[in-house]
Amino acid sequence: MCTLLIRGGRVVDPANGVDGVADVWIRDGRVVAAPSDSDARADRTIDARGYVVMPGGVDVHSHIAGSKVNAARIMRPEERRGDDRVVRRRSGFRSGTLGSVPSSFATGYQYAGLGYTSAVDAAIPPLGARTAHAEFGDVPVVDKAMLVLMGNNHLVMEAVKAGDRAAVERTVAWLLNSARGFGVKAVNPGGVEQWKRGGARLAGWDDRVDGFDVSPRQIVTALAEAVDALGLPHALHFHGLNLGIAGNWEQTLEGMKALQGRRVHMAHVQFHGYGGSPDAPADFSANVGPLADFVNAHSGITVDVGQVLFGETTSMTADGPTGHFLAELTGRKWYDHDVEQEDGCGVSPIEYKDRNFVHAVQWAAGLEWFLRVDDPWRVALSTDHPNGASFRSYPDLIALLMDRNLRDETLDRLPEKARERTGLKDLSREYSLSEIAVVTRAGPARILGLAHKGHLGPGADGDVAIYAPDDDCRRMFAMPRWVVKAGEVVVDDGELKAAPIGRTLFAEMDVDPEARAALLARLGASASFHPANFAVGPDEASNPLGLRAGARP
Amino acid sequence: MPGDALPYTCTLCGCLCDDLEIRVESDVVAEAKGACAIARPRLVGLDVAPRAAAACRVDGREATADKAVEAAARILAAARAPLVLGMARSTNETARLAVALADRIGATIETGDAESAWPRVVAMQRYGSIGATLGEVKARGDVVVFWGCDPATTHPRHFERYSLVGSEGRRTIAIDEGETETTRRGDVFLKVRPDQELNLLQTLRALVREAPLDPHRVVAATGHDLAALQDLAETLQGASYGAWFQGALAGRGPARLAEARRQAVTALVRELARKTRFVALGLGEAGNPHGVEGVLAWQTGFTPGVDLGAGFPESWPGESSAAERLKRGAFDAAVVIAGPFDSARSTPDGGEDVPSPLEGEGGRRPDEGSRSQGLPVAPLLIRPSGAPSPSRGEGGSWIFIGDPECDEYARATVALPAGVPGIDESGTYARADGVSLPIRALRASGNPTAGEWLERLLTAIGAATPCVRS
Repeated sequence: MCTLLIRGGRVVDPANGVDGVADVWIRDGRVVAAPSDSDARADRTIDARGYVVMPGGVDVHSHIAGSKVNAARIMRPEERRGDDRVVRRRSGFRSGTLGSVPSSFATGYQYAGLGYTSAVDAAIPPLGARTAHAEFGDVPVVDKAMLVLMGNNHLVMEAVKAGDRAAVERTVAWLLNSARGFGVKAVNPGGVEQWKRGGARLAGWDDRVDGFDVSPRQIVTALAEAVDALGLPHALHFHGLNLGIAGNWEQTLEGMKALQGRRVHMAHVQFHGYGGSPDAPADFSANVGPLADFVNAHSGITVDVGQVLFGETTSMTADGPTGHFLAELTGRKWYDHDVEQEDGCGVSPIEYKDRNFVHAVQWAAGLEWFLRVDDPWRVALSTDHPNGASFRSYPDLIALLMDRNLRDETLDRLPEKARERTGLKDLSREYSLSEIAVVTRAGPARILGLAHKGHLGPGADGDVAIYAPDDDCRRMFAMPRWVVKAGEVVVDDGELKAAPIGRTLFAEMDVDPEARAALLARLGASASFHPANFAVGPDEASNPLGLRAGARP
Repeated sequence: MPGDALPYTCTLCGCLCDDLEIRVESDVVAEAKGACAIARPRLVGLDVAPRAAAACRVDGREATADKAVEAAARILAAARAPLVLGMARSTNETARLAVALADRIGATIETGDAESAWPRVVAMQRYGSIGATLGEVKARGDVVVFWGCDPATTHPRHFERYSLVGSEGRRTIAIDEGETETTRRGDVFLKVRPDQELNLLQTLRALVREAPLDPHRVVAATGHDLAALQDLAETLQGASYGAWFQGALAGRGPARLAEARRQAVTALVRELARKTRFVALGLGEAGNPHGVEGVLAWQTGFTPGVDLGAGFPESWPGESSAAERLKRGAFDAAVVIAGPFDSARSTPDGGEDVPSPLEGEGGRRPDEGSRSQGLPVAPLLIRPSGAPSPSRGEGGSWIFIGDPECDEYARATVALPAGVPGIDESGTYARADGVSLPIRALRASGNPTAGEWLERLLTAIGAATPCVRS
């Protein structure tokens, strides 16, 4: 039995309605109630007086493993050379490289260094799960989970076409189980399949996917229904149509309406809220207002933002046609990899420039989302790492949310045309510390359905970040003084001192053996591999922790 | 293990066929259903009786495991310019530990065959790559190109499993120096001289791009009429899903131009992808070079060679090559992780060819097989052709982890016996298209796996936290 006492800090724990000086006791990796014996001593006590104590950060949407991430590493040596782009080896730790896509160990260290203790990879094709799990085994400190791509899955689309809800559910459960995944992701549903077929782009909710004769509307609603029927902790995680395209706000709104009444998490909404039209790029604008209004009025919808920050980064997406579009737009190197049965990925370097009209509007659009969605519990902080920017720049984003002057200063140096195409200058809202705690930990944990994360009540994971209050919010969140992971002090006095491996969270699914056999037989008919080798074995996930489906709050 | 209902994954060529059914009688493989002409003679007849443990060796003498690990750890702890290399047949699990060791001791680590891996990786660094998993080609491909390679000979089940050559609605174009089994089975054969390969690739790209070309110069550059190439370009653009396959060096021309050829292929495919869907894939190499490259990349950010000597990963083409340092003698300790296919006997400068079910015929690249007699198995060099043989007291100390029947085993300063992945050891390998597949042992081995030896070495030298599996 090992106890840790974090004494006398300002505990900001919005999930439990706490914002005030309190003690936090952790025993055997979990938060416990303070002992009734007032003389009780802990094995270690952190004197947190004067500090801000929060639950460990939770990233609801990030790209940290799998073939797209590793391809980005291999393709971009240029951003991992130089003294400030490396992690040096020291006793007990591995060396690594940074850039926009850090190497695996460095990814864990860097997340921990910001006070983040959980991160979800939001786009793993079922066939890529084995590799991604192996890679998770080399991402220390943080707990990991993966969302499994299903929005272009052939067997899912066949079941949707047949209008067979039970078959959709069976297929979703089987895919999730085979991948040891945590949640269900749909990326440009039907649109990636259509692109692979060379068909006309799916731009509208009722366009049809060639060969399957289903529409994005049918796929998304069927998946959202299946996710709810299976009782998965996390809602359908949805990457919409027409990512990045001028005028896409209309389809985004239509999509939210189509899903009305069902739980849905809309990913990186910043990329989906643009005015103008594809034919007139000069009319490009941020049109977040009507979308945020709709979110405000519908409690089943949550979003993460996918904030763009200025600088060099790497775009990576399972949305193949979008990846191609971006690479052609920038003319830079392009990695593209189609994966049988489901999506694939496109990767290309991109530099967001404050002098670029479109990039400036994108920057403002992201901030508008944060400021226009009234309920911070339903908007999660993300940069869609590394798409909008690296997760390493989260402290910069936090500072922008907390400080209107900082936003205005940046806005002032953007192209005038861009300033006119966003309502950001009229938004005076500034996030409080408690609201930051919501969008970076409490909210994402609730959105993911992780009852043991994002708060510091008894039973919660002993994951804690302790920051020194600072007028410079960026500095405050860039360097926690202490970080605790599962009760172990991993960042001590500002320095990473331990790097335990963390857990891999997955949804425990029951799959009927007959259904499994039937699905495998159909998979085997078209796959390039033996169906017996499809599923990730029980010993292939790193330090796995199954969460029972149906147990969602 | 034999008798299991699970299929067997063959590691003998880049196809990584994972559907073999192995039948064992009296501790011998009696049947390997689904095995091709390359695999069958190497699998059928294989003795799968449990293997007894071999003894470790230190300075040529037998030693206990503890003493051998201690000796190896002492060498590595004192090393100032260590190397870690081989690994072309290591499992991904072993590779994770090998990179951990290299990181711990500040080694230069390199995987697989430097001659083909560097051009492939550097071409991607410059230009990207446009590919797919093989199932996409199987399901969607309607135009399939084989560029300077002969999978009918080197990857016998490629047509049946992935490229579906000869199936309805599928047009196969073979472009090569001369006739091969592949060109004979294709619909179109276009001859190209190795020294004109680059010209042909660039001409095709120009045609797809609809750039005006001088017919006389096209003939001079490629040996073909403009009209013929225009036809070919039309066929490529007319694909609804095209697939371009190539071997390890992306053609038959000189190895030094492999990177240029790869870039030219990617540029052509990118041009085609503006008009239709088109992808380029490698046929893949035997063993697990693609998996090990991936592991090296995720742990360090670079591949296929990384210098960890400065305390952080650095990688420079032409510089960070362990094989090159080995060749120059610029090392004081080397860890070689190998299987029997890497043995000196199967390398060009190796000894006499002793027939064995586990042995490859050396000296030829897998994609060169068709140009010569016999059925080649990739030799998967652990050192470039002509490199000095490792031996005690020369250049530096050697720690060899691998098959005790290898020549290196007797010559190494410290030799640690390890089972052979896919024969004695289970784990995962990656196919050339990145798909990770389980490989399964055929027999019980008394020897530890290479990964287990690496764990012991890491413990002995007081390692950084290695990767943890539970």
